[in-house]
Amino acid sequence: MKPNRRVTPYLFLVPAMAVFGFAVLFPVVMTFAYSFTEWNGYGTMQFVGLDNYIEAANDVLFRDSFLHVVLYIAATILLEVAVGLVLAGLVSVKRRGSLWFRVAIFTPVMLPMVVVAVLWAFVYNNDFGLLNAALVNFGLEDLQRVWLGDPATALLAVSVVSGWVYAGFYMTIFYAAFSQVPTEVIEAARLDGAGEWQLFRRIKVPMIRNAITVSLLLCITGGFQGFDLFYVMTNGGPYGATEIPTTYLVKSVFTFGNVGYGSAMAMVLTAVVVALGLVFARVNREKPEKVNA
Amino acid sequence: MSTRTAQRLTVGRIPGLLFTLALVVIAVVFFFPMLWMVFSSFKSNSAIFSTPFALPTEIDFGRWAEAWEVGHIGQYALNSAIVTGASVFGILLLGAAAAFAFSRYRFRGRNLLMGLLALGLLLPLQSYFIAQSTLFTQLAITDTRWALIIPYTAMGLPLAVYLLKVYLDAVPDELFEAARIDGAGDLRVFGSIALPLLRPGLATVAIFSALSSWNEFLLALLYIQDDALKTIPTGLLAFSSRYVTDYGLLFSALSIVTLPMIIIYIVFNKQIVDGITAGSVK
Repeated sequence: MKPNRRVTPYLFLVPAMAVFGFAVLFPVVMTFAYSFTEWNGYGTMQFVGLDNYIEAANDVLFRDSFLHVVLYIAATILLEVAVGLVLAGLVSVKRRGSLWFRVAIFTPVMLPMVVVAVLWAFVYNNDFGLLNAALVNFGLEDLQRVWLGDPATALLAVSVVSGWVYAGFYMTIFYAAFSQVPTEVIEAARLDGAGEWQLFRRIKVPMIRNAITVSLLLCITGGFQGFDLFYVMTNGGPYGATEIPTTYLVKSVFTFGNVGYGSAMAMVLTAVVVALGLVFARVNREKPEKVNA
Repeated sequence: MSTRTAQRLTVGRIPGLLFTLALVVIAVVFFFPMLWMVFSSFKSNSAIFSTPFALPTEIDFGRWAEAWEVGHIGQYALNSAIVTGASVFGILLLGAAAAFAFSRYRFRGRNLLMGLLALGLLLPLQSYFIAQSTLFTQLAITDTRWALIIPYTAMGLPLAVYLLKVYLDAVPDELFEAARIDGAGDLRVFGSIALPLLRPGLATVAIFSALSSWNEFLLALLYIQDDALKTIPTGLLAFSSRYVTDYGLLFSALSIVTLPMIIIYIVFNKQIVDGITAGSVK
Protein backbone atom coordinates (compact mmCIF):
# COMPACT_ATOMS: atom_id res chain seq x y z
CA MET A 1 0.00 0.00 0.00
CA LYS A 2 1.23 3.47 -0.86
CA PRO A 3 1.10 6.01 1.95
CA ASN A 4 -0.64 9.31 1.18
CA ARG A 5 2.45 11.17 2.33
CA ARG A 6 6.00 9.83 2.41
CA VAL A 7 6.36 10.67 6.07
CA THR A 8 3.30 8.64 7.12
CA PRO A 9 5.05 5.28 7.83
CA TYR A 10 7.50 7.06 10.11
CA LEU A 11 4.70 8.78 12.00
CA PHE A 12 3.22 5.36 12.81
CA LEU A 13 6.62 4.19 14.04
CA VAL A 14 7.79 7.19 16.02
CA PRO A 15 5.97 6.44 19.30
CA ALA A 16 7.05 2.79 19.51
CA MET A 17 10.64 3.47 18.43
CA ALA A 18 10.92 6.44 20.77
CA VAL A 19 9.84 4.45 23.83
CA PHE A 20 11.95 1.45 22.86
CA GLY A 21 14.97 3.59 22.04
CA PHE A 22 14.68 5.60 25.24
CA ALA A 23 14.13 2.72 27.66
CA VAL A 24 16.08 -0.11 26.00
CA LEU A 25 18.45 0.75 23.14
CA PHE A 26 19.99 3.89 24.60
CA PRO A 27 20.54 2.22 28.00
CA VAL A 28 22.17 -0.79 26.30
CA VAL A 29 24.67 1.51 24.63
CA MET A 30 25.26 3.41 27.87
CA THR A 31 25.70 0.23 29.93
CA PHE A 32 28.28 -0.87 27.39
CA ALA A 33 30.01 2.51 27.73
CA TYR A 34 29.93 2.35 31.55
CA SER A 35 31.63 -1.02 31.42
CA PHE A 36 34.90 0.72 30.42
CA THR A 37 34.78 3.16 33.32
CA GLU A 38 35.12 3.36 37.03
CA TRP A 39 32.09 5.18 38.33
CA ASN A 40 29.96 5.23 41.47
CA GLY A 41 26.84 6.51 39.73
CA TYR A 42 27.11 10.24 40.48
CA GLY A 43 30.72 11.39 41.00
CA THR A 44 33.36 11.74 38.32
CA MET A 45 33.65 8.99 35.76
CA GLN A 46 37.07 7.60 34.93
CA PHE A 47 37.94 5.69 31.78
CA VAL A 48 39.75 2.47 32.66
CA GLY A 49 39.77 0.54 29.38
CA LEU A 50 39.34 -3.19 29.79
CA ASP A 51 40.18 -3.21 33.49
CA ASN A 52 36.66 -4.18 34.56
CA TYR A 53 36.61 -7.15 32.19
CA ILE A 54 40.02 -8.30 33.42
CA GLU A 55 38.81 -7.94 36.98
CA ALA A 56 35.69 -9.96 36.17
CA ALA A 57 37.78 -12.73 34.63
CA ASN A 58 39.84 -12.96 37.81
CA ASP A 59 36.96 -12.52 40.23
CA VAL A 60 36.40 -15.86 41.96
CA LEU A 61 32.95 -14.79 43.15
CA PHE A 62 31.89 -13.89 39.63
CA ARG A 63 33.20 -17.17 38.23
CA ASP A 64 31.45 -19.08 41.01
CA SER A 65 28.23 -17.23 40.23
CA PHE A 66 28.44 -18.57 36.67
CA LEU A 67 29.10 -22.06 37.95
CA HIS A 68 26.01 -21.79 40.18
CA VAL A 69 23.78 -20.58 37.41
CA VAL A 70 25.00 -23.36 35.10
CA LEU A 71 24.22 -25.96 37.76
CA TYR A 72 20.85 -24.33 38.29
CA ILE A 73 20.15 -24.45 34.55
CA ALA A 74 21.15 -28.12 34.39
CA ALA A 75 18.74 -28.86 37.24
CA THR A 76 15.92 -26.86 35.66
CA ILE A 77 16.32 -28.59 32.29
CA LEU A 78 15.47 -31.75 34.16
CA LEU A 79 12.89 -30.33 36.57
CA GLU A 80 11.15 -28.04 34.11
CA VAL A 81 11.60 -29.27 30.56
CA ALA A 82 11.91 -33.02 31.13
CA VAL A 83 9.20 -33.10 33.79
CA GLY A 84 7.02 -30.87 31.63
CA LEU A 85 7.46 -33.27 28.71
CA VAL A 86 6.44 -36.28 30.80
CA LEU A 87 3.44 -34.42 32.24
CA ALA A 88 2.33 -33.38 28.76
CA GLY A 89 2.68 -37.00 27.66
CA LEU A 90 0.48 -38.14 30.54
CA VAL A 91 -2.18 -35.51 29.93
CA SER A 92 -2.28 -36.11 26.19
CA VAL A 93 -3.05 -39.81 26.69
CA LYS A 94 -6.22 -39.04 28.56
CA ARG A 95 -7.76 -35.79 27.51
CA ARG A 96 -11.06 -35.93 29.26
CA GLY A 97 -11.14 -34.15 32.61
CA SER A 98 -7.64 -32.89 32.14
CA LEU A 99 -8.59 -29.24 32.77
CA TRP A 100 -8.46 -29.56 36.55
CA PHE A 101 -5.12 -31.28 36.18
CA ARG A 102 -3.76 -28.51 34.03
CA VAL A 103 -5.13 -25.92 36.47
CA ALA A 104 -3.26 -27.56 39.34
CA ILE A 105 -0.01 -27.74 37.43
CA PHE A 106 -0.20 -24.44 35.59
CA THR A 107 -1.39 -22.05 38.32
CA PRO A 108 2.12 -21.41 39.69
CA VAL A 109 3.11 -19.91 36.31
CA MET A 110 0.50 -17.20 36.85
CA LEU A 111 1.84 -16.12 40.23
CA PRO A 112 4.41 -13.40 40.81
CA MET A 113 7.74 -15.09 41.55
CA VAL A 114 7.90 -13.16 44.81
CA VAL A 115 4.71 -14.85 45.99
CA VAL A 116 6.14 -18.21 45.02
CA ALA A 117 9.41 -17.43 46.75
CA VAL A 118 7.79 -16.31 50.01
CA LEU A 119 5.50 -19.36 49.98
CA TRP A 120 8.37 -21.77 49.39
CA ALA A 121 10.56 -20.11 52.00
CA PHE A 122 7.76 -21.28 54.32
CA VAL A 123 7.67 -24.76 52.79
CA TYR A 124 11.40 -25.03 53.51
CA ASN A 125 11.12 -23.32 56.90
CA ASN A 126 13.02 -25.06 59.62
CA ASP A 127 10.46 -24.73 62.40
CA PHE A 128 7.10 -25.34 60.77
CA GLY A 129 7.92 -25.93 57.10
CA LEU A 130 5.81 -28.30 55.10
CA LEU A 131 8.77 -30.28 53.80
CA ASN A 132 10.34 -31.16 57.14
CA ALA A 133 6.91 -31.87 58.61
CA ALA A 134 6.12 -34.21 55.72
CA LEU A 135 9.42 -36.03 56.25
CA VAL A 136 8.51 -36.60 59.90
CA ASN A 137 5.11 -37.93 58.85
CA PHE A 138 6.70 -40.45 56.54
CA GLY A 139 9.22 -41.50 59.19
CA LEU A 140 12.13 -39.89 57.38
CA GLU A 141 13.31 -37.57 60.18
CA ASP A 142 16.94 -38.20 59.23
CA LEU A 143 16.43 -36.39 55.94
CA GLN A 144 15.37 -33.15 57.63
CA ARG A 145 17.52 -30.19 56.67
CA VAL A 146 17.71 -26.45 56.97
CA TRP A 147 17.10 -26.56 53.22
CA LEU A 148 17.82 -22.95 52.34
CA GLY A 149 20.42 -22.45 55.06
CA ASP A 150 22.67 -25.33 54.12
CA PRO A 151 25.16 -24.59 51.32
CA ALA A 152 24.88 -28.23 50.24
CA THR A 153 21.14 -28.06 49.54
CA ALA A 154 20.27 -24.39 48.95
CA LEU A 155 20.90 -24.30 45.20
CA LEU A 156 18.94 -27.51 44.64
CA ALA A 157 16.14 -26.22 46.87
CA VAL A 158 15.78 -23.08 44.73
CA SER A 159 15.92 -25.17 41.53
CA VAL A 160 13.05 -27.34 42.79
CA VAL A 161 10.90 -24.24 43.27
CA SER A 162 11.73 -23.17 39.74
CA GLY A 163 10.68 -26.64 38.59
CA TRP A 164 7.43 -26.37 40.51
CA VAL A 165 6.62 -23.17 38.63
CA TYR A 166 7.81 -23.88 35.12
CA ALA A 167 7.06 -27.59 34.69
CA GLY A 168 3.50 -26.45 34.04
CA PHE A 169 4.68 -23.86 31.54
CA TYR A 170 6.60 -26.41 29.46
CA MET A 171 3.81 -28.94 29.89
CA THR A 172 1.51 -26.41 28.23
CA ILE A 173 3.88 -25.86 25.33
CA PHE A 174 4.39 -29.59 24.79
CA TYR A 175 0.71 -30.36 25.22
CA ALA A 176 -0.09 -27.87 22.45
CA ALA A 177 2.60 -29.42 20.26
CA PHE A 178 1.39 -32.97 20.94
CA SER A 179 -2.14 -32.09 19.94
CA GLN A 180 -0.81 -31.05 16.53
CA VAL A 181 0.64 -34.50 15.86
CA PRO A 182 -1.67 -35.96 13.18
CA THR A 183 -4.05 -38.52 14.67
CA GLU A 184 -3.52 -40.82 11.65
CA VAL A 185 0.11 -41.25 12.63
CA ILE A 186 -0.87 -42.18 16.16
CA GLU A 187 -3.65 -44.50 15.06
CA ALA A 188 -1.32 -46.23 12.61
CA ALA A 189 1.24 -46.81 15.36
CA ARG A 190 -1.50 -48.14 17.64
CA LEU A 191 -2.62 -50.58 14.97
CA ASP A 192 0.96 -51.79 14.75
CA GLY A 193 0.68 -52.62 18.42
CA ALA A 194 2.60 -49.74 19.96
CA GLY A 195 1.88 -49.19 23.66
CA GLU A 196 1.49 -45.74 25.15
CA TRP A 197 5.10 -45.56 26.26
CA GLN A 198 6.44 -46.56 22.85
CA LEU A 199 4.07 -44.14 21.24
CA PHE A 200 5.43 -41.39 23.47
CA ARG A 201 9.10 -42.21 22.98
CA ARG A 202 9.18 -43.19 19.34
CA ILE A 203 6.42 -41.11 17.76
CA LYS A 204 5.25 -38.15 19.80
CA VAL A 205 8.54 -36.87 21.21
CA PRO A 206 10.46 -37.05 17.92
CA MET A 207 7.59 -35.27 16.17
CA ILE A 208 7.70 -32.25 18.47
CA ARG A 209 11.47 -31.81 18.30
CA ASN A 210 11.09 -28.16 17.34
CA ALA A 211 9.05 -27.35 20.41
CA ILE A 212 11.63 -29.14 22.54
CA THR A 213 14.50 -27.16 21.02
CA VAL A 214 12.72 -23.86 21.61
CA SER A 215 11.90 -24.90 25.17
CA LEU A 216 15.52 -25.72 25.87
CA LEU A 217 16.50 -22.32 24.55
CA LEU A 218 13.91 -20.61 26.75
CA CYS A 219 15.01 -22.63 29.78
CA ILE A 220 18.72 -21.93 29.27
CA THR A 221 18.54 -18.24 28.37
CA GLY A 222 15.83 -17.69 30.99
CA GLY A 223 18.03 -19.44 33.55
CA PHE A 224 20.94 -17.08 32.92
CA GLN A 225 18.56 -14.19 33.60
CA GLY A 226 17.23 -15.69 36.84
CA PHE A 227 16.86 -13.30 39.75
CA ASP A 228 13.53 -13.15 41.59
CA LEU A 229 13.58 -16.52 43.36
CA PHE A 230 17.22 -16.17 44.32
CA TYR A 231 16.86 -12.64 45.59
CA VAL A 232 13.86 -13.39 47.81
CA MET A 233 14.75 -16.88 49.04
CA THR A 234 18.50 -16.67 49.67
CA ASN A 235 19.91 -13.45 48.18
CA GLY A 236 23.02 -15.38 47.24
CA GLY A 237 23.51 -17.07 50.59
CA PRO A 238 24.29 -19.18 52.55
CA TYR A 239 27.99 -18.30 52.23
CA GLY A 240 27.53 -17.38 48.57
CA ALA A 241 26.29 -20.88 47.65
CA THR A 242 23.44 -19.49 45.56
CA GLU A 243 25.09 -16.32 44.24
CA ILE A 244 24.25 -16.05 40.56
CA PRO A 245 25.47 -13.40 38.11
CA THR A 246 22.42 -11.17 38.44
CA THR A 247 22.25 -11.15 42.25
CA TYR A 248 25.99 -10.50 42.29
CA LEU A 249 25.93 -7.63 39.83
CA VAL A 250 22.88 -6.05 41.45
CA LYS A 251 24.81 -6.01 44.73
CA SER A 252 27.91 -4.58 43.04
CA VAL A 253 25.98 -1.75 41.44
CA PHE A 254 23.21 -0.91 43.89
CA THR A 255 24.81 -1.82 47.22
CA PHE A 256 28.48 -1.07 46.62
CA GLY A 257 28.11 1.56 43.89
CA ASN A 258 30.44 -0.13 41.39
CA VAL A 259 28.52 0.92 38.30
CA GLY A 260 31.43 0.32 35.94
CA TYR A 261 32.31 -3.12 37.22
CA GLY A 262 28.65 -4.18 37.42
CA SER A 263 28.12 -3.03 33.84
CA ALA A 264 31.06 -5.11 32.65
CA MET A 265 29.60 -8.19 34.34
CA ALA A 266 26.21 -7.37 32.82
CA MET A 267 27.83 -7.23 29.39
CA VAL A 268 29.51 -10.61 29.88
CA LEU A 269 26.14 -12.09 30.82
CA THR A 270 24.50 -10.38 27.84
CA ALA A 271 27.12 -11.79 25.49
CA VAL A 272 26.41 -15.32 26.76
CA VAL A 273 22.63 -14.97 26.40
CA VAL A 274 22.79 -13.35 22.95
CA ALA A 275 25.34 -15.90 21.69
CA LEU A 276 23.13 -18.79 22.83
CA GLY A 277 20.13 -17.17 21.19
CA LEU A 278 21.98 -16.81 17.88
CA VAL A 279 23.30 -20.38 17.99
CA PHE A 280 19.78 -21.72 18.49
CA ALA A 281 18.44 -19.43 15.78
CA ARG A 282 21.01 -20.91 13.40
CA VAL A 283 20.21 -24.48 14.40
CA ASN A 284 16.55 -23.82 13.71
CA ARG A 285 17.07 -21.86 10.55
CA GLU A 286 15.69 -24.43 8.15
CA LYS A 287 12.35 -24.01 9.87
CA PRO A 288 12.17 -20.37 10.83
CA GLU A 289 10.91 -20.25 14.34
CA LYS A 290 9.99 -17.53 16.73
CA VAL A 291 12.40 -17.19 19.59
CA ASN A 292 10.97 -15.51 22.62
CA ALA A 293 13.44 -14.57 25.32
CA MET B 1 -18.71 -43.62 21.97
CA SER B 2 -17.09 -46.66 20.40
CA THR B 3 -13.91 -44.79 19.56
CA ARG B 4 -13.75 -43.81 23.19
CA THR B 5 -13.87 -47.45 24.32
CA ALA B 6 -11.31 -48.37 21.71
CA GLN B 7 -8.99 -45.73 23.06
CA ARG B 8 -9.52 -46.99 26.60
CA LEU B 9 -8.54 -50.48 25.59
CA THR B 10 -5.38 -49.34 23.89
CA VAL B 11 -4.19 -47.65 27.09
CA GLY B 12 -3.47 -51.32 27.69
CA ARG B 13 -0.38 -51.69 29.78
CA ILE B 14 -1.21 -48.86 32.12
CA PRO B 15 -4.63 -49.82 33.41
CA GLY B 16 -6.93 -46.79 33.22
CA LEU B 17 -7.62 -46.55 36.92
CA LEU B 18 -3.97 -46.63 37.92
CA PHE B 19 -3.27 -44.03 35.30
CA THR B 20 -5.93 -41.70 36.65
CA LEU B 21 -4.59 -42.28 40.13
CA ALA B 22 -1.10 -41.23 39.03
CA LEU B 23 -2.51 -38.01 37.57
CA VAL B 24 -4.38 -37.29 40.79
CA VAL B 25 -1.28 -37.86 42.92
CA ILE B 26 0.81 -35.56 40.73
CA ALA B 27 -1.84 -32.85 40.78
CA VAL B 28 -2.15 -33.06 44.57
CA VAL B 29 1.61 -32.84 45.06
CA PHE B 30 1.75 -29.79 42.81
CA PHE B 31 -1.27 -28.17 44.38
CA PHE B 32 -0.47 -28.99 47.99
CA PRO B 33 1.73 -25.98 48.78
CA MET B 34 -1.13 -23.71 47.73
CA LEU B 35 -3.70 -25.65 49.77
CA TRP B 36 -1.38 -25.51 52.76
CA MET B 37 -1.05 -21.77 52.26
CA VAL B 38 -4.82 -21.24 52.28
CA PHE B 39 -5.36 -23.56 55.26
CA SER B 40 -2.60 -21.89 57.23
CA SER B 41 -4.12 -18.47 56.58
CA PHE B 42 -7.00 -19.48 58.84
CA LYS B 43 -4.76 -20.77 61.63
CA SER B 44 -3.01 -19.28 64.63
CA ASN B 45 0.78 -19.35 64.79
CA SER B 46 0.69 -22.24 67.27
CA ALA B 47 -1.63 -24.31 65.07
CA ILE B 48 0.64 -23.68 62.06
CA PHE B 49 3.53 -25.05 64.11
CA SER B 50 1.86 -28.00 65.82
CA THR B 51 -0.56 -29.37 63.20
CA PRO B 52 0.72 -28.31 59.76
CA PHE B 53 -1.43 -30.81 57.85
CA ALA B 54 -4.68 -30.39 59.75
CA LEU B 55 -7.66 -28.60 58.27
CA PRO B 56 -8.26 -25.25 59.94
CA THR B 57 -10.76 -25.45 62.81
CA GLU B 58 -12.69 -22.44 61.58
CA ILE B 59 -12.82 -20.46 58.38
CA ASP B 60 -12.47 -16.86 59.44
CA PHE B 61 -11.86 -14.33 56.71
CA GLY B 62 -11.06 -11.73 59.38
CA ARG B 63 -7.36 -12.36 58.87
CA TRP B 64 -7.74 -11.81 55.16
CA ALA B 65 -9.51 -8.50 55.76
CA GLU B 66 -6.78 -7.56 58.22
CA ALA B 67 -4.03 -8.40 55.72
CA TRP B 68 -5.83 -6.38 53.06
CA GLU B 69 -6.07 -3.38 55.40
CA VAL B 70 -2.90 -3.27 57.51
CA GLY B 71 -0.80 -4.90 54.81
CA HIS B 72 -1.81 -2.29 52.20
CA ILE B 73 -2.55 -5.17 49.81
CA GLY B 74 -5.39 -3.12 48.38
CA GLN B 75 -3.00 -0.25 47.62
CA TYR B 76 -0.44 -2.58 46.02
CA ALA B 77 -3.12 -4.23 43.91
CA LEU B 78 -4.36 -0.83 42.76
CA ASN B 79 -0.81 0.22 41.83
CA SER B 80 -0.29 -3.02 39.94
CA ALA B 81 -3.58 -2.50 38.11
CA ILE B 82 -2.66 1.06 37.09
CA VAL B 83 0.86 0.17 35.97
CA THR B 84 -0.28 -2.97 34.16
CA GLY B 85 -3.25 -1.25 32.55
CA ALA B 86 -1.18 1.66 31.27
CA SER B 87 1.63 -0.60 30.02
CA VAL B 88 -0.72 -2.95 28.19
CA PHE B 89 -2.57 -0.01 26.63
CA GLY B 90 0.76 1.45 25.49
CA ILE B 91 2.00 -1.86 24.12
CA LEU B 92 -1.22 -2.47 22.16
CA LEU B 93 -1.52 1.01 20.70
CA LEU B 94 2.15 1.65 19.87
CA GLY B 95 2.69 -1.98 18.88
CA ALA B 96 -0.28 -2.05 16.52
CA ALA B 97 0.78 1.24 14.88
CA ALA B 98 4.33 -0.02 14.37
CA ALA B 99 3.17 -3.40 13.09
CA PHE B 100 0.84 -1.62 10.65
CA ALA B 101 3.69 0.49 9.28
CA PHE B 102 6.05 -2.48 8.91
CA SER B 103 3.40 -4.68 7.36
CA ARG B 104 1.72 -2.32 4.90
CA TYR B 105 4.37 0.17 3.80
CA ARG B 106 7.74 -0.10 2.09
CA PHE B 107 9.99 2.76 3.12
CA ARG B 108 13.63 3.67 3.61
CA GLY B 109 15.10 2.34 6.85
CA ARG B 110 12.39 -0.31 7.28
CA ASN B 111 14.79 -3.23 7.68
CA LEU B 112 17.06 -1.30 10.00
CA LEU B 113 14.19 -0.34 12.29
CA MET B 114 12.78 -3.85 12.27
CA GLY B 115 16.21 -5.20 13.10
CA LEU B 116 16.61 -2.82 16.02
CA LEU B 117 13.26 -3.89 17.40
CA ALA B 118 14.10 -7.56 16.90
CA LEU B 119 17.18 -7.00 19.07
CA GLY B 120 14.71 -6.53 21.89
CA LEU B 121 13.70 -10.19 21.57
CA LEU B 122 17.28 -11.24 22.16
CA LEU B 123 18.62 -8.76 24.70
CA PRO B 124 18.24 -9.68 28.37
CA LEU B 125 17.11 -7.15 30.95
CA GLN B 126 20.66 -7.22 32.31
CA SER B 127 21.97 -5.51 29.18
CA TYR B 128 20.19 -2.26 29.95
CA PHE B 129 18.81 -1.97 33.46
CA ILE B 130 21.94 -0.42 35.00
CA ALA B 131 22.05 2.55 32.63
CA GLN B 132 18.26 2.70 32.60
CA SER B 133 18.30 3.20 36.35
CA THR B 134 20.88 6.00 36.22
CA LEU B 135 18.92 7.61 33.39
CA PHE B 136 15.67 7.43 35.35
CA THR B 137 17.40 8.84 38.43
CA GLN B 138 18.82 11.76 36.46
CA LEU B 139 15.41 12.53 34.96
CA ALA B 140 13.77 12.15 38.39
CA ILE B 141 11.22 9.60 37.22
CA THR B 142 12.20 6.98 39.77
CA ASP B 143 9.52 6.72 42.45
CA THR B 144 6.81 7.62 39.97
CA ARG B 145 4.60 5.15 38.12
CA TRP B 146 6.29 6.17 34.86
CA ALA B 147 9.45 4.43 36.05
CA LEU B 148 7.59 1.14 35.55
CA ILE B 149 5.12 1.99 32.79
CA ILE B 150 7.84 3.18 30.38
CA PRO B 151 10.16 0.15 30.64
CA TYR B 152 7.29 -2.37 30.74
CA THR B 153 5.91 -0.84 27.55
CA ALA B 154 9.34 -0.81 25.91
CA MET B 155 10.05 -4.42 26.91
CA GLY B 156 6.69 -5.63 25.63
CA LEU B 157 6.88 -3.91 22.24
CA PRO B 158 9.27 -6.20 20.31
CA LEU B 159 7.21 -9.36 20.71
CA ALA B 160 3.94 -7.43 20.29
CA VAL B 161 5.08 -5.87 17.00
CA TYR B 162 6.36 -9.20 15.74
CA LEU B 163 3.12 -11.06 16.48
CA LEU B 164 0.81 -8.30 15.27
CA LYS B 165 2.80 -7.97 12.06
CA VAL B 166 2.31 -11.70 11.41
CA TYR B 167 -1.46 -11.15 11.75
CA LEU B 168 -1.48 -8.15 9.42
CA ASP B 169 0.74 -9.80 6.82
CA ALA B 170 -1.97 -12.40 6.34
CA VAL B 171 -4.54 -9.76 5.36
CA PRO B 172 -4.89 -9.28 1.57
CA ASP B 173 -3.85 -5.86 0.32
CA GLU B 174 -7.14 -5.37 -1.60
CA LEU B 175 -8.96 -4.80 1.67
CA PHE B 176 -6.81 -1.77 2.41
CA GLU B 177 -6.79 -0.53 -1.18
CA ALA B 178 -10.58 -0.66 -1.28
CA ALA B 179 -10.81 1.56 1.77
CA ARG B 180 -8.27 3.86 0.21
CA ILE B 181 -10.33 4.18 -2.97
CA ASP B 182 -13.32 5.06 -0.81
CA GLY B 183 -11.26 8.04 0.30
CA ALA B 184 -9.99 6.88 3.69
CA GLY B 185 -6.70 8.42 4.84
CA ASP B 186 -3.85 6.41 6.37
CA LEU B 187 -5.07 6.97 9.90
CA ARG B 188 -8.61 5.94 8.95
CA VAL B 189 -7.33 2.77 7.28
CA PHE B 190 -5.39 1.92 10.42
CA GLY B 191 -8.22 2.71 12.80
CA SER B 192 -11.18 1.27 10.97
CA ILE B 193 -9.64 -1.60 8.97
CA ALA B 194 -6.43 -2.77 10.63
CA LEU B 195 -7.36 -2.49 14.30
CA PRO B 196 -10.63 -4.46 14.09
CA LEU B 197 -8.86 -7.20 12.10
CA LEU B 198 -6.16 -7.35 14.75
CA ARG B 199 -8.55 -8.01 17.61
CA PRO B 200 -7.60 -11.66 18.28
CA GLY B 201 -3.91 -10.79 18.04
CA LEU B 202 -4.37 -7.86 20.38
CA ALA B 203 -6.10 -10.12 22.91
CA THR B 204 -3.19 -12.55 22.87
CA VAL B 205 -0.64 -9.77 23.23
CA ALA B 206 -2.68 -8.16 26.01
CA ILE B 207 -2.69 -11.35 28.04
CA PHE B 208 1.00 -12.09 28.06
CA SER B 209 1.90 -8.41 28.42
CA ALA B 210 -0.46 -8.10 31.38
CA LEU B 211 0.97 -11.18 33.08
CA SER B 212 4.56 -10.07 32.71
CA SER B 213 3.86 -6.50 33.87
CA TRP B 214 1.79 -7.74 36.80
CA ASN B 215 4.57 -10.06 37.94
CA GLU B 216 7.70 -8.01 37.13
CA PHE B 217 10.00 -7.70 40.11
CA LEU B 218 13.58 -6.54 39.44
CA LEU B 219 12.81 -3.09 38.01
CA ALA B 220 10.03 -2.53 40.53
CA LEU B 221 12.52 -3.30 43.28
CA LEU B 222 15.09 -0.85 41.92
CA TYR B 223 12.86 2.06 40.90
CA ILE B 224 10.11 2.24 43.53
CA GLN B 225 11.04 2.93 47.15
CA ASP B 226 7.84 4.77 48.08
CA ASP B 227 5.53 2.24 49.73
CA ALA B 228 2.45 4.03 48.40
CA LEU B 229 3.54 3.26 44.81
CA LYS B 230 4.71 -0.33 45.22
CA THR B 231 3.21 -3.03 43.04
CA ILE B 232 2.20 -6.46 44.31
CA PRO B 233 5.60 -8.22 44.02
CA THR B 234 7.62 -5.56 45.84
CA GLY B 235 4.73 -4.65 48.12
CA LEU B 236 4.35 -8.23 49.23
CA LEU B 237 8.06 -8.42 49.91
CA ALA B 238 7.85 -5.29 52.07
CA PHE B 239 4.83 -6.78 53.82
CA SER B 240 6.67 -10.01 54.53
CA SER B 241 9.56 -8.18 56.17
CA ARG B 242 7.18 -6.01 58.23
CA TYR B 243 5.24 -8.98 59.62
CA VAL B 244 7.98 -11.59 59.70
CA THR B 245 6.49 -13.52 62.58
CA ASP B 246 2.76 -13.20 62.00
CA TYR B 247 2.52 -16.27 59.79
CA GLY B 248 -1.26 -16.40 59.61
CA LEU B 249 -1.34 -12.84 58.32
CA LEU B 250 1.40 -13.53 55.78
CA PHE B 251 -0.39 -16.64 54.53
CA SER B 252 -3.57 -14.56 54.25
CA ALA B 253 -1.78 -12.00 52.10
CA LEU B 254 -0.29 -14.72 49.90
CA SER B 255 -3.73 -16.32 49.52
CA ILE B 256 -5.36 -13.01 48.59
CA VAL B 257 -2.81 -12.53 45.81
CA THR B 258 -2.98 -16.12 44.61
CA LEU B 259 -6.70 -16.92 44.45
CA PRO B 260 -7.65 -14.31 41.82
CA MET B 261 -4.90 -15.68 39.57
CA ILE B 262 -6.34 -19.20 39.84
CA ILE B 263 -9.79 -17.90 38.96
CA ILE B 264 -8.41 -15.88 36.06
CA TYR B 265 -6.69 -18.98 34.75
CA ILE B 266 -9.82 -21.10 34.99
CA VAL B 267 -11.92 -18.48 33.20
CA PHE B 268 -9.41 -17.49 30.53
CA ASN B 269 -7.36 -20.68 30.31
CA LYS B 270 -7.69 -20.98 26.55
CA GLN B 271 -6.56 -17.41 25.86
CA ILE B 272 -3.81 -17.61 28.44
CA VAL B 273 -2.43 -20.83 27.01
CA ASP B 274 -2.61 -19.32 23.50
CA GLY B 275 -0.87 -16.18 24.70
CA ILE B 276 1.85 -18.02 26.53
CA THR B 277 2.56 -20.49 23.77
CA ALA B 278 2.28 -17.88 21.02
CA GLY B 279 5.86 -16.79 21.48
CA SER B 280 7.34 -20.26 21.73
CA VAL B 281 5.53 -22.64 19.41
CA LYS B 282 4.87 -21.33 15.96
